[in-house]
Amino acid sequence: MGCSSSLPANNAGAVGNINNENSATDSKNLRVKLVLLGDSGVGKSCIVLRFVRGQFDPTSKVTVGASFLSQTLALEDSTTVKFEIWDTAGQERYAALAPLYYRGAGAAIVVYDITSPELFNKAQYWVKELQKHGSPDMIMALVGNKADLHDNRCVSSQDAKEYADRNSMFFIETSAKTADNINQLFEEIAKRLPRPAPS
Amino acid sequence: MESPTSPASRLDFYGFVDRMRRPAATDLFHSIKSFLVSLSLDEPNAEEDGSRVQTFFAEMETAIKDHPLWADATNQEIDHALEGLEKYIMTKLFDRTFASSAEDVKADMEISEKIGLLQHFVRPHHLDIPKILHNEAAWLLAVKELQKINSFKSPLEKLICIMSCCQVINNLLLNVSMSNDRTPSGADDFLPILIYITIKANPPQLHSNLKFVQLFRRETKLISEVEYYLTNLISAKMFIINVNGHSLSMEESVFQKHMESARLGSHIFVDSSSSPQGLSTSTSTSGLHKESDTEGMLLVIFKTESLTPAEVKQLHELYRQVVTRYKLKTNELWGTNACPCHCNPGIRNKVPGLPGCTTANTLCWKMSTHDLFMIRLGILLSAEQNSKMMLPQLTTT
Repeated sequence: MGCSSSLPANNAGAVGNINNENSATDSKNLRVKLVLLGDSGVGKSCIVLRFVRGQFDPTSKVTVGASFLSQTLALEDSTTVKFEIWDTAGQERYAALAPLYYRGAGAAIVVYDITSPELFNKAQYWVKELQKHGSPDMIMALVGNKADLHDNRCVSSQDAKEYADRNSMFFIETSAKTADNINQLFEEIAKRLPRPAPS
Repeated sequence: MESPTSPASRLDFYGFVDRMRRPAATDLFHSIKSFLVSLSLDEPNAEEDGSRVQTFFAEMETAIKDHPLWADATNQEIDHALEGLEKYIMTKLFDRTFASSAEDVKADMEISEKIGLLQHFVRPHHLDIPKILHNEAAWLLAVKELQKINSFKSPLEKLICIMSCCQVINNLLLNVSMSNDRTPSGADDFLPILIYITIKANPPQLHSNLKFVQLFRRETKLISEVEYYLTNLISAKMFIINVNGHSLSMEESVFQKHMESARLGSHIFVDSSSSPQGLSTSTSTSGLHKESDTEGMLLVIFKTESLTPAEVKQLHELYRQVVTRYKLKTNELWGTNACPCHCNPGIRNKVPGLPGCTTANTLCWKMSTHDLFMIRLGILLSAEQNSKMMLPQLTTT
């Protein structure tokens, strides 16, 4: 696995209070459902854990479940974006269930592993699925993870970037292990989110 | 998380009912009453009822926020009132909205039967559950949480059963990752375990419970983490409905063979350990043995689809025994007026001989696979033979 395994001790494993869900979206405080797609082993959950851990403030009420995580990001323009991150099971046998998860998502991250052309192909399958069945204004990011393993690289950044451009996606290479580009990934998604018109 | 039966949650509900009885709340009380009456004038239709109930919840939210009785109330107090309202309305509408269509009853039975077969041969490795996460004790706990779902009538309480089950799984995942220095794999680990738990639990009326929560839980509350875990159980259901050889990494022919032998399996009823809430239909081994023989015989009859009068008579006798047994057990548990399948008015109405529901208890009657089978047999028989032969009416015996 590509990331270390320490976890924030705060609130570990708790499924959040069922009655505490009243965060409304307004022009300054956005809330977005973000779905994670990619084969098992590409490090989907490492990316998210790194993001949540990196931002981790022991006093904040971050819920650390195994597969649902939420994290609020403050942007320079004084807006905040609360990401509600929905992980999906990456095994082939569960692929048909993915539409249940990405329905209504405002953003999607499709992850592959830069050392595996096979997983890059699988990522392209997810991109096509999202284009076919996802919401048309969904922000999509293509993420080549395990960028620290550049000696074993099999998918060139150039190819991936071109593919992402052709599909109007944002492309970035990350390393959940070294935390490279993890924050940039989420900041970039946050910036691209449509802002509701101020009322 | 608060248990739905905790004193605090009961206080919420009775606090709400109390407040509704005050003279100052007459207007709200009337709104609720007239809403229930207006709904009762139309034929039940879960989807339509769902959108009307949701609209009503939204109207009431505004009304309560603006109401003098809640003038100085905090957001939390208003929320408690709305929880009370949801529970009150949905308890009143339960029989009308829960598993009320023939399609829902059929879907529930089909899923339950399918799970009953899958229980025989699906093992953790078929679903990609890594060995390190095998933990029978934790799994059993999750199973029990999920099986509580029919003990409650309000969408929130049902949802809490689902969330508690997921919480047990999450605790397991986190404990394992912490004590083994293993990176948590998120949904790659979570979903397979939830599917396995669902198969082990065979939760009563899975389809109807999910539909009920989706349609009648207040929309503003069905978001975020709660929505995520509900979606996971919905996808577990979808996986089970569509399961085939491919989805369990076996040849389709092998899968079909497993399903077939599970169908014919002589030990089909012995596995009562997987449904600890269900009332065991037999306590002695000889009883189990006898029922297995019966099952084998019934399958043979159903396969040939030609029933001789003697066989029909024999089936009727078996059916009569089941009904009698349910009546006896019901009387033992809840007195003579209680309803044996209180949790499923759909079945109740279709099976002659079962006493009607006259009490409003919230206990759930979880039927064993065997009894579900027998009841279905009763329905089939009454449909096919209705002109030729009457099913024994037991209400008068």
